[in-house]
Amino acid sequence: MRNRSGEVTARSQRLIVISLIALGLGFLIMVQLRSQAAVARTLATQDDTSVALLINDLNRANNLLLQQSTALAEQQAQLHQTLTSGGTDSQALSKELTTLREVNGAVAVHGPGLEIQIEGAVMDFELQDALNNLRNAGAEAISLNGYRIVGSTPVVSRGDVLMVAGHTVGTSLVLLVIGDAEQLGPAADLSASSLQTRVQVSIQRKSDLAITAVVTPRPLIYAQLGK
Amino acid sequence: MTVLASVSLATFLVAGLAATQFRSQPLPPSNRVAREQALRQSVNQLEDQNHALKARVQALQADVKAGEDETARRSSAAQEVKAQLDEQKAFAGLTALHGPGLTVLLHDGTDPNSPSDQSLGWTIHYQDLQDIVNVLWASGAEAIAVNGQRIVPTTAFHYAGVNILVNNASRLSPPYTVIALGDPSALANGVGNPDQMAELKSRNRIYGLGFSWLRSTRLSVPVYDATFLLKYAQPVG
Repeated sequence: MRNRSGEVTARSQRLIVISLIALGLGFLIMVQLRSQAAVARTLATQDDTSVALLINDLNRANNLLLQQSTALAEQQAQLHQTLTSGGTDSQALSKELTTLREVNGAVAVHGPGLEIQIEGAVMDFELQDALNNLRNAGAEAISLNGYRIVGSTPVVSRGDVLMVAGHTVGTSLVLLVIGDAEQLGPAADLSASSLQTRVQVSIQRKSDLAITAVVTPRPLIYAQLGK
Repeated sequence: MTVLASVSLATFLVAGLAATQFRSQPLPPSNRVAREQALRQSVNQLEDQNHALKARVQALQADVKAGEDETARRSSAAQEVKAQLDEQKAFAGLTALHGPGLTVLLHDGTDPNSPSDQSLGWTIHYQDLQDIVNVLWASGAEAIAVNGQRIVPTTAFHYAGVNILVNNASRLSPPYTVIALGDPSALANGVGNPDQMAELKSRNRIYGLGFSWLRSTRLSVPVYDATFLLKYAQPVG
């Protein structure tokens, strides 16, 4: 009787010990897996280089926003002054209208920038990348082979044929870009470096170039004003 | 004896795991921790500043618009210019719009964790967003927004490290929602065309990367949260 009771006690003790150890092991394995995941997530999403690049972009964006804010404050003050004195200032409206028509590609423009010549066949995504890089570098107006390119201009490949806004543009491309050549240059170099393995690219800085092609914005049929 | 053997084995395993756990804990030098904290603090401060500046720009735009409305009320000449101005604002993304259209949803797939596949094809890249926006314009979209950011003539997508940025350093994070206003059928046909975005569709099959679209009778796109300031382009004549 006593022996059997001793065996039961010993078995219970073993079970308790093993359960406690299993619990400890489970806890440690969990901690181990979680800490590895946390380290991986931190490194994968926000390494120091990413954060530093983000800081650079935020500084640049905030400077631009500050300049926009200053320009709008001046415009607002001018409008207020004119209205207070009982007058109307349609010139201020015309000035803003001209800026927006430039942005929308509805008027011919000139200014400093780059002339980029590409000899050879490029795909739609390569041209899109180049345009994206140039816009990111502050391009204010762009044309390709005499066609004005704005944000909504579709760039598509149909087989080997590159089409811009529905027009075939061939394999000899001339991109005219107006903006700060100091900023546009590195962006153009970046695109050129990926293209130059297959096609010839030449980039020239221009003190003044003209983009005379214009686009007529498509009328809004489906979209209505308001939220 | 059996208990002793079990305890010894288990203790050995626990000690081994504890050692592994201890070794896997990153032990960065204190200056690295301080540097990381300072960098992240800078991002937070700059993003707060960014939001405040955008709010300031939008408030000033509202003031300017009120002044322009008043000017138009006082003069028929100004009224004519104001009508053209409003039209150009709608095209440039300076007006909120609503209407029928298409919602495109994208999210990262599953990391294959394979040494033979380091392509990062399971994540959505900024070029994917750029491609979708391009296909939507080609399919007749009249206005587009990505994660609440209006696509305007100056919009460019780019990377800042792992971050996808758009419109004055606005960070885009997955999942991505692209809203396009226009004919829902034409937009859906464009996105569904097998010749378009073939690579993205292939990654959708391989990595389970999310890529779906939904037609709607009423969607809205917000106003661009900044404005345009041209410094180099001048009108001809």
